[in-house]
Amino acid sequence: MISLLIDGRPVEVAEGTTVLKAAERAGIAISHFCFHPAFVPEGSCRLCLVQIEGSPKLELGCSTIVREGMKVSTQSPIVREARRGVLEFLLAEHPLDCPICDKAGECKLQDYASDYGLTESVFREAKEKREKRLPIGEKLLLDRERCIQCTRCVRFLSEITKTHELGLFERGIHSEIGIYDGKPVRNGYSGNLVDLCPVGAITDTTFRFKTRPWFLARGESVCPHCSRGCNIYIDYHPGFPRVPGSAKVYRIRPRVNEAVNGPWICDYGRYGFVEAQNTGRSDRPFWNKGGAKTELSWDKVRIVLGEKLKALRESGRMGRAAVAASGWLTNEELYLIQKIFRDDLNVSRLFVVDPKPGEGDAMLLRPDRAPNRRGATELGFDLALPSLEALGRETEVLIIFGPHLAAHFGGDELRAAFDKIALKVLVTSHLAGLESLADCVLASATPAEKEGSFTNADGRIQRFAAAARPCPDVRPELWILQDLAREIGLRSDLYSRAASARTVFEALAKEIPFFGATA
Amino acid sequence: MTKAPKILTELFWLEHLHRIEAYLDRGGYQALKKALTEMKPEQVQEEVKKANLRGRGGAGFPAGVKWGFIPKGTDKPKYLCVNADEGEPGTFKDRYILNHNPHLLIEGIVLAAYAVGIHSAYVYIRGEYEMIARRLEQAVAEAYAKGYLGRNILGAGFDLDLVVHRGAGAYICGEETALLESLEGKRGNPRLKPPFPALVGLFQCPTVINNVETLSNVPFIVQKGAAWFLEQGLPKDGGTRLFGVSGAVAKPGLYELPAGTSLREIITTHAGGMKDGKKLKAVIPGGMSSPILRADEIDVRMDVDSIAAAGSMLGSGAIIVIDEGTPILHVLRKIAKFYAHESCGQCTPCRLGTSWIHKIVERMAAGGGTRGDVDTLIRLAGNIKGRTLCPLGDAAAMPVTAIAQKFRTELEATLERSPVWP
Repeated sequence: MISLLIDGRPVEVAEGTTVLKAAERAGIAISHFCFHPAFVPEGSCRLCLVQIEGSPKLELGCSTIVREGMKVSTQSPIVREARRGVLEFLLAEHPLDCPICDKAGECKLQDYASDYGLTESVFREAKEKREKRLPIGEKLLLDRERCIQCTRCVRFLSEITKTHELGLFERGIHSEIGIYDGKPVRNGYSGNLVDLCPVGAITDTTFRFKTRPWFLARGESVCPHCSRGCNIYIDYHPGFPRVPGSAKVYRIRPRVNEAVNGPWICDYGRYGFVEAQNTGRSDRPFWNKGGAKTELSWDKVRIVLGEKLKALRESGRMGRAAVAASGWLTNEELYLIQKIFRDDLNVSRLFVVDPKPGEGDAMLLRPDRAPNRRGATELGFDLALPSLEALGRETEVLIIFGPHLAAHFGGDELRAAFDKIALKVLVTSHLAGLESLADCVLASATPAEKEGSFTNADGRIQRFAAAARPCPDVRPELWILQDLAREIGLRSDLYSRAASARTVFEALAKEIPFFGATA
Repeated sequence: MTKAPKILTELFWLEHLHRIEAYLDRGGYQALKKALTEMKPEQVQEEVKKANLRGRGGAGFPAGVKWGFIPKGTDKPKYLCVNADEGEPGTFKDRYILNHNPHLLIEGIVLAAYAVGIHSAYVYIRGEYEMIARRLEQAVAEAYAKGYLGRNILGAGFDLDLVVHRGAGAYICGEETALLESLEGKRGNPRLKPPFPALVGLFQCPTVINNVETLSNVPFIVQKGAAWFLEQGLPKDGGTRLFGVSGAVAKPGLYELPAGTSLREIITTHAGGMKDGKKLKAVIPGGMSSPILRADEIDVRMDVDSIAAAGSMLGSGAIIVIDEGTPILHVLRKIAKFYAHESCGQCTPCRLGTSWIHKIVERMAAGGGTRGDVDTLIRLAGNIKGRTLCPLGDAAAMPVTAIAQKFRTELEATLERSPVWP
C-alpha cells in the first residue's frame, strides 16, 4: 500500500494506482474529459492537471502513478488557473448552443464552466465553422462544432468493440472525428458513444430534441432483453396530469456493474427496451368474443377467472388446466405460479415458453432473449416447448404468460389447438398477435414497472424495484396471481397483496437452496 | 575570433564524399573497426558518456546518459531511431551532413547500435528531403555491400539492419514519440509520457532516439577519445556545434564552431555581420521555438547551459537574425501561423491555444488590434506552456511570450491606429 496526501487528506491506495483514482477514494473528484476508467489514459484534455510537491510542472491526475509520501493538491490556485485556461480554450471555439443541445443539463463542459466560473469570454475572433449534423451511424449524429476531441468515442471503438469505425482526421484546429470512407459505426454497441461523449457532440436520433434531461426521472433496473441482465438506468418522463401518453420512457443507459455489464449495454437492449416500453403495449384487460373486444375491469377478471377455476376444482378436472409461464417472469412470479397451480391446485402441466433465441455476441448480448430462463430452470420448470396438439386435446383452461407462443407456432396451428380449449387467458404486457386467439387478455406490467428479481445466465440473482411508472390499468403478474389465489379461496401469507416481491423471495429462498445461497 | 576546428564538416569540400570509396579513402569506418575489434560495447557507451555529447536535436540531453536508460538483459528487441526530420524552422544542419557525408552518420549509427546492443535501426528522414533521402539510401546500400551493415559486420559477429523511412511532412513527427507513431504507420500524434521510449518505444520495445548531428559525432569520440572531444567544446557540453545562420546577415550559412562560442561573434564575425549595413533588431538563437533575444542580449555563449541561463535555448542551433526593417508583428505572425498549422490537435491547450493566438495576431496584422491584445497573448501563451502533452506547446508559447514581452512597445504602437473594441 502507498500512503499519500491529497489536499491534505491522507489516502492509502494500492501500488500502481493513479492520482485521479486515489483522489476518488478520498472523495475528491478531479475534473476530466478524456479519462474513462475503461480505457488506457489518453492525457489529451489536460483538465485533470494537479500540483505535486517537488514537481516543476503540473502533472496529469489520470496517468500519474502515486508514490509514497506524495503531496498532491487538486485545488490550489495554480491548478484552478490551469483548468480555467483549458476550459477557456474549449469554450472559445465551442458553439455554446446549449439551449438546443440534448446534452445540456448533463454536459461536463457546461458543469465545469459553471464550477470554474467562466461566464465571460475575451474571445473576439471568428469561430471555426464545422459540420453540425453528420450521420456517423444508424442512430448517431456527430456535431463537430460541439466536439472537444476527447476521443473517447474513437477509443471505445478501438479498445472495447475493436471495430475501429471512427478516427481522427486532419490536424490542429482543423482536426475532427470522422468515419472512414463513409462506413458508418455499426457494431451492436454504438449507443454507448452517446453516453461516453462528455458533451453534445454525438447525439442519438431516437432521443434528439425529444425532451430535456432535467425533465426525466431516473430509475434503476435490469435489462430484460437477454439473459445477461445488464444493469440499467431508465430515464422516463413521469407524465403530466391530464395529458394522456405523456408518461414515457425516453432512453435507458448503462448502470456500472463490473460483475455483469461493466459500463456498457448493447444496442439490442438499449433501443429494444424503449421501443418495447412505449409501443405495442397491452394497456387494459379485455374479453375477446367473436373478434369483438369488450373492456373488462380487474374485479370482473378476478371473479370470472376465479369462478372458472373453482368450477374445475370442484368437478375434479383440475388436470384439464395448464399454465404456460415465461422466462420474462420474475423469480417471485414463477415461484407463485408453482405454489398456486402445482402445489395448491395440483396442476401438473406447467410450461415455460420463451422468445426464440436470437444472435449473441462476444461482448454482452446473449442468444437467450429471456431474462430469467435460468431462474425458471433453478425453480424446476420444464423448459421444453409443449406439444400444441396434446395441449389442445387435454386442456380446458389455459393460462398463458407473455406473447411468445406466437413466435414458435404458426397462426393456423395455434388456432386449431386453441379452438379445442374452452378458456384461453393471456397475461401479457405486449400485443403481438396471440391476443386474437385468447378469450381473455390481461394487461401486465413490464419488468421496468414492477419489482422482483431475475436470475441471469451466470446464476446471478439481481433484484430490481419498479423504475418507471406503469399505465394505470396495467398490473404486475405478482398481483394478478395473488388476487386469483385469494379469489379461489387459497390460503397463504404469500397470496396477500401485503406480500411484496421481497416477502415472496424470502419464502423462495427458504425453500430452494439455490436462491437462499446467492441471495 | 575563435579558431574554427572542423570536425563534422571537415571533409565537406570533397566532391564525392557521399560515395563510400571517398569516405574510406579519408579514413572512414576506422572508428567502427576500432570499436568492433578493440572495445566492448560498454566501453563505447562509457566513452560517449564521458565526452558529454549533448543531444543536437534541441533538448540538449546527454546522449551517453540516454543510452544508459535502455534496460539491460531485456528479451525484447531494441531499436535505434535516428531523427532526421529536421523540421524546426531555421534549421538546416542535418541536411548538410546527410547530403555531404551520409557515411559518417551510418558509422555513428552502427557505433551507437553496438554500444547499446541494438540490431535494428531506422532513419526517419524529413519527407521533403527527397534527393537527400535517395543519397542516404544509396549510402546504406554501399555500406551493406561493403559489410559495414547487415550480418556479421567486419567479421566481428555484430549484426545491424538499417532502414531509411521518409516522413510525410508534419513538423510534429520530429517530436520523438510522434516520430515513433509515424514510423509504426500510425497518425503522428505524440504519446503520453511516461513510459519513455527508452523503456516503451518503437513497437512497444526499448528504443534510443538520437539526432543526426549527435550520432555523427560518435565516430570522432570513439576514434579520438572523450578527452579530445571535450577540448573541442566545453567541459559540460563537448564538441562543436553546427550553427545555421539565416536572415539579415552578410554570409548566411552553416558554421561549425565550438560549443560556447558567443552569439555576437557568430553573427558579426563568422556570418559576416549584418547584411547591407542594416541594424540588428533581434535574434532567434535556437530555431523558431526558442525565445527571441533583443539586439542588446546577444553577448551570450552558445552552449546548452549558458543560453538557458540567458532565458532562451540552444535548440537546434538555428540562428535567425532579424534587422530593424522587419516589423516584429510580422515575425510574430509567421511564428503564430506556423504553430497553429503544425499543432497535431491532440491536446486542448495546443490545438485551441495556438489557433487562438494565430487569430489574434492575424487580426492585429490586419489592423484590427485592440488594447488588451498583447496581454491576452501573454496570458494565452502562459496557459499553453507547461500544460500540453508534448513539447510543441512550449515551442509555440515561448516565442510568443518573449516577443510580446520584449517588443510590447512596438506591438502596441501598431494598435494605436486600430479601433478599440467597445
